[in-house]
Amino acid sequence: MLILRFTLRRLLVAAPTVLGVLFITFMLVRIGHQDPVAMLAGPMADRAMLEMIRTQLGLDQPLFTQFAGYLWRLAQGDLGRSWQSNQPVLHEIIAHFPTTLELTLLSVGLGAIIGVPVGLRAAFRPNGWFDQISRVVSLLGFSVPTYWMGLMAIFIFFFLLRLAPAPMGRLSLEVIAPPTITGSLVIDSIAAGNWEALRSALAQLMLPVSCFTLIAAAPVVKQTRAVAIEILGSDYIRYARACGFSPRTVRRIVLRNAVAPVLTFIGTQLTSLLAAASLIEFIFAWGGLGHWGLNAILLGDFAAVQGYVLTLALFSVFVFLVIDLLVLLLEPRGQRR
Amino acid sequence: MTLLSVEDLHVHFVTRGLDNRIRTARALNGVSFTVEQGEIVGLVGETGAGKSLTALAAMGLLRPPAMIPTGAIRFDGQNILALPPRELNAIRGVRMTMIVQSPLTSLDPLARVGDQLVRMQQQHSRISRAEAVKRALAVLDEVRVADPERRMRAWPHELSGGMAQRVLIAMALVNRPRLVIADEPTTGLDVTVQAQVLDTLRDLVRANGMSAIIITHDLGVVAHHCDRMAVMFAGTIVEQGRVSDVFREQRHPYTRALISATPKRIAAQGFGQVGGTPPDLYNLPGGCLYRDRCGRATELCTSAPPLIGIGPGHGVLCHHAAEIPAP
Repeated sequence: MLILRFTLRRLLVAAPTVLGVLFITFMLVRIGHQDPVAMLAGPMADRAMLEMIRTQLGLDQPLFTQFAGYLWRLAQGDLGRSWQSNQPVLHEIIAHFPTTLELTLLSVGLGAIIGVPVGLRAAFRPNGWFDQISRVVSLLGFSVPTYWMGLMAIFIFFFLLRLAPAPMGRLSLEVIAPPTITGSLVIDSIAAGNWEALRSALAQLMLPVSCFTLIAAAPVVKQTRAVAIEILGSDYIRYARACGFSPRTVRRIVLRNAVAPVLTFIGTQLTSLLAAASLIEFIFAWGGLGHWGLNAILLGDFAAVQGYVLTLALFSVFVFLVIDLLVLLLEPRGQRR
Repeated sequence: MTLLSVEDLHVHFVTRGLDNRIRTARALNGVSFTVEQGEIVGLVGETGAGKSLTALAAMGLLRPPAMIPTGAIRFDGQNILALPPRELNAIRGVRMTMIVQSPLTSLDPLARVGDQLVRMQQQHSRISRAEAVKRALAVLDEVRVADPERRMRAWPHELSGGMAQRVLIAMALVNRPRLVIADEPTTGLDVTVQAQVLDTLRDLVRANGMSAIIITHDLGVVAHHCDRMAVMFAGTIVEQGRVSDVFREQRHPYTRALISATPKRIAAQGFGQVGGTPPDLYNLPGGCLYRDRCGRATELCTSAPPLIGIGPGHGVLCHHAAEIPAP
């Protein structure tokens, strides 16, 4: 009951945010310098033809009328059509989203599995050798540009060492893809019992996931360390020590109290990395949502850009809702409200 | 029998300043006192005098940058300063416990009151959960927490300040320690609650034959709840003795200034105040540390003051203690 009420209230609060995102995206793509009509019509089109296409697309209407129409169609589940592929945007999103989600979830998951213990260990011995090493490595994850890291990984592991397969998408060209069920090649391959496809999909994932994990783990290490150090300096840990609790018990209290803030942070990471995936996808020719969205932005494909941003916004709302529900269950303080 | 003895305890904080020079703050400068079996000792003095630091040292809780260049602390026959952490943990929380200043932030925010009381017992003995729950309920009842069963299920954030303080007292008593150190146990509580909490603590200590150290700014607390007292100034004990003796004689000028600044005296004699500020611990002067603030300072006071015995168990750290007449 509490959870239901909480969920409803959160969704109600999220609605204006999403509406704001829609409005800003809608206006931004339109005040950009690109004129999609000229691009669509091609170099041979005359003035009358340009005007005809413009009217067809409704781009001759005032901006706010266009926006109202967009909202109206959106309410009916119509996200418009991509000018680039002439497919409904909704279909494209559904086709591309699982690909990006697979990459992002794997990387953020691995980043958390690696980052949280490393951050904790570093916090228990601040400025020890482990802390120093983890600090240098996570500094790399922070500061090295994504595209450079991707290119270097390809250069070293594919070109020089021949350890990784060619960075040409999600499956080797010689392998037949399994029938699409979830959109995740790993899961679909297992479902179809296609072990060759599974091996190829995992091999293709190796490099982008490694790069992305390093990027995802670095802030998790830093944040976990900061959270744990703050808890270690808190009154209740000092009191626990004064009570003669064993170091193990003290660590357990730290861990328990660190769960909620670290979880919340990983949630924010997940949403921002879903957007950051576009660069990694671009370099590894991944063909996921990020790749698609980046192309749409470069080509001025209005409906596709709007659909892309809307997907990111809705995903953020969803992730934050899930995280907040988890924290609500873990934290007695929240439950009183 | 002597339960705790602290002898010539020095505590220094050694840090590196921004200019990379090593700086030493001399926070305790030769503190000596004892706590006898069944006795309640009050430690009073202004902020920064080293009261809490003395308690932390006695519990073996000092960590770098604090260090102990000289001194000895013996508790129940054991040398606290030489014990490895494991053996210290077998003393802290069981035989010597502490009641800290900030009850609301000192309890683990993610554990229910009952679970924390159980954890306190199970950390130190192989007691069954059912047995530990029973003891926890009994001890909550002892510290006069109304409806202990309901409180056992409460989260720390649901407690009022006074209630949290009682829970901390319950935590300190649940393992039946020999010595309880209460570090300003009533800061942040209103006056009526303060008195109740302290009465409860004193009665339970007395009833169970325990000893206690009460650290406070409040001379009234010392007068009402303690057997002996020690007045601290700049990391030294300037006067100690039975509470009645110290209040009657007030031989150290600082003790006298403190007592004259209590509200009751102000009403009778006008506002007395302890002038000046504590000396810079990074740069302590030689001789008597109270010299700069003392109305009776003479040339003599530039040399280290002797400990002068006034009566049985009553000592004063002052060149002029013998000449100062009782008020």
